[in-house]
Amino acid sequence: MTEELCCGNNNSFSVCVAGLRGCHSRLLQGVLTKLALPCTAFNGQTFLVRNFAVEAKKVYVRDKPHVNVGTIGHVDHGKTTLTAAITKILSEAGAAKFKKYEEIDNAPEEKTRGITINASHVEYSTPNRHYAHTDCPGHADYVKNMITGTAPLDGCILVVAATDGQMPQTREHLLLAKQIGVKHVVVYINKADAVDDSEMLDLVELEIRELLTEFGYDGENAPVIVGSALCALEQRNPELGLNSIMKLLDAVDTYIPLPQRELDKPFLLPIEHVYSIPGRGTVVTGTLERGIVKKGDECEFLGHNRNVRSVVTGVEMFHKQLERAEAGDNLGALVRGLKREDIRRGMVMCKPGSIQPHQKVEAQVYVLNKDEGGRHKPFVSNFTPVMFSLTWDMACRIELPAGKEMVMPGEDTSLLLILRQPMVLEEGQRFTLRDGSKTIGTGVVTKTLPLAPGDEEKWVN
Amino acid sequence: MMQRMAALRRELVFSQKRNAAVGQLFGEHLARFLHTGLPVLAAKELLVKLRKKTGYSYVNCKKALEKFDDDLKEAEIWLHEQAQKEGWSKASKLQGRKTKEGLIGLLQEGNSAVMVEVNCETDFVARNARFQHLVQQAAIGTMHHYQGTMNQLNTYAKCLLKSNELSQLKIGPDGSLLSDQLALAIGKLGENMVIKRAVWVSVPENNFIGSYVHGAPPDGNPLLSHIMFGKYGALVICSPSEQCPKSNFPELGWRLGQHVVGMAPLSVGSMEDEPGGDSETKMLPQPFLLDPTISLGQYIHPRGVSVLDFVRFECGEDTESLESE
Repeated sequence: MTEELCCGNNNSFSVCVAGLRGCHSRLLQGVLTKLALPCTAFNGQTFLVRNFAVEAKKVYVRDKPHVNVGTIGHVDHGKTTLTAAITKILSEAGAAKFKKYEEIDNAPEEKTRGITINASHVEYSTPNRHYAHTDCPGHADYVKNMITGTAPLDGCILVVAATDGQMPQTREHLLLAKQIGVKHVVVYINKADAVDDSEMLDLVELEIRELLTEFGYDGENAPVIVGSALCALEQRNPELGLNSIMKLLDAVDTYIPLPQRELDKPFLLPIEHVYSIPGRGTVVTGTLERGIVKKGDECEFLGHNRNVRSVVTGVEMFHKQLERAEAGDNLGALVRGLKREDIRRGMVMCKPGSIQPHQKVEAQVYVLNKDEGGRHKPFVSNFTPVMFSLTWDMACRIELPAGKEMVMPGEDTSLLLILRQPMVLEEGQRFTLRDGSKTIGTGVVTKTLPLAPGDEEKWVN
Repeated sequence: MMQRMAALRRELVFSQKRNAAVGQLFGEHLARFLHTGLPVLAAKELLVKLRKKTGYSYVNCKKALEKFDDDLKEAEIWLHEQAQKEGWSKASKLQGRKTKEGLIGLLQEGNSAVMVEVNCETDFVARNARFQHLVQQAAIGTMHHYQGTMNQLNTYAKCLLKSNELSQLKIGPDGSLLSDQLALAIGKLGENMVIKRAVWVSVPENNFIGSYVHGAPPDGNPLLSHIMFGKYGALVICSPSEQCPKSNFPELGWRLGQHVVGMAPLSVGSMEDEPGGDSETKMLPQPFLLDPTISLGQYIHPRGVSVLDFVRFECGEDTESLESE
């Protein structure tokens, strides 16, 4: 009875209740009663019955590797229809929730790191993998997505209509894919049902392979699947419909490789605090960014112009000894032979030699507009905001690329950043730029560069 | 007679292919070419040739070739006509879809300058050379429209054109309308587009126009080199004093335009105004973009230039609320 009450009045909670239902412990039942109390109780049986029917919130089960994909292609070539078709077909196997065309088409505004991005996300799984499928309406949205790292695309499905062949925007989209670092493209030739001449399909395929090669992709070996998303959606012509979608998913499964898991990378711990514990030694704390740390691992401390080596002599979490800590764990690590003064917040503890401090980087940055809390006026070269990344912050000087004299709010641009001191930075690392109390922009490092003569002198004045 | 025969043969071949399964291997195709002989191969080559040349869709290219018995020239003419027709129907179909992206085009010739804004739905299209060509046509059309209308100016002239006036502009020697070109571009790029506004500015001999465009698309189109594209554009009408050397005009005009784009002033103000803070909307008392310690007035005064007027275009901005202000 208590359990039912609880289910009825709080949807999102019902999952955990369902999980506990088998448990008859007095104690737990007491807890459940308490939870249920504030909102219910006195209503009659009817109320309970009605509410019990409310669908419970599902729990994401992490049983398959996760991959992010996106669709690109010329307007009206059927990107959205394809996405709808994929969800429809997979929903029949219970591996997705069917989304109608209209649901996907109006990409809602979402806010990530304070930045407004138009994107629609759809999720589905194949027998082997779980996918998040992203569709953005504009170039700028994809670039923002890359900069904030919301859904880093591991691969793309390029949609081309068989009736048209590659059209002007197909080129723009491939250019974009290249720019945001997509390495694998699978092609879906759509609307094959509207073409009665198989030779034309060959021509379209040939043309698209040429185009892929032109943009530096593996045009010869990229999978090209011919089909019709509309047929799949309307459940006719299974050869072009259903089967083509299955073939496409198969190609995506095999051609787009799994991204390297954070756990498999060399460990990196951005240091949040340093403590000195009498009788034991120095302990550094933080959230393990990636990799695995074990007792006895060699480690290196970098940043703030320091470089110290040591050995991890103990790993703790919640005051308990730990055999190994994994990426995402909030841990404390006891390190041998170091004084508290040797290390400070902002440095990182990493596998020796796995990462280097840098003072000059090239980055792609999105500058927040006024509505997003950014500045209302532009900035020019030599502007010096403070850069925040991992647990460190450091003053940096901006140099704009040739031909670019200023950056307006709401724009994205590539630029050079020269830090006052070398800090741990690597390709793909994300950061925020702030000036006073305002967040100016968010960026991602695209390249680390050696310091050029003259770069350092400018800091002296 | 011969032609009919050829057509008949092709018909036969096509119907054969219609029956063929879809995902066949290329080798099988090849075998069939050899089997059915030359005409097919030729038809295919023609199709590819026409497609490469015109860029129109495969379906239309094929239709055109069938219609004119593989006559490339006539097929091409028909395709162009068809594109115009399809453009119009597409344009009316897409009408009403929101256009927030696009480009500003700026064209300067001697003592006059034109700035136009053309909108489209996504920034992908704004990067397209075909779209940029349309912007150029709009700019040139506006320039021609006003050319010679005002000679012997004593003071500067500034004329604004709205969307409906712009669509009636004649461009090119054949007298085709700008709206035809718009429909063509819509048909080709598949998005709604609007030629939103244009401004033409002309100054007498002793004045000059400073211009600045911001946010140019990444790869400039070499064919359109004398027109500048961007997301923001500004024209500043300046009156130099005697001691200001002429060679400084372009640089100075560029800096002033940059300031207008960056700081978005609403009016010019006067030299007597006290220098204001970041929220100042009058141009002269605003802090100068490149050196916020001085006002813009303090920047231009020693250089012997005064600002008479300016125009600022921001792509996708709400012009109606601006006008009511």
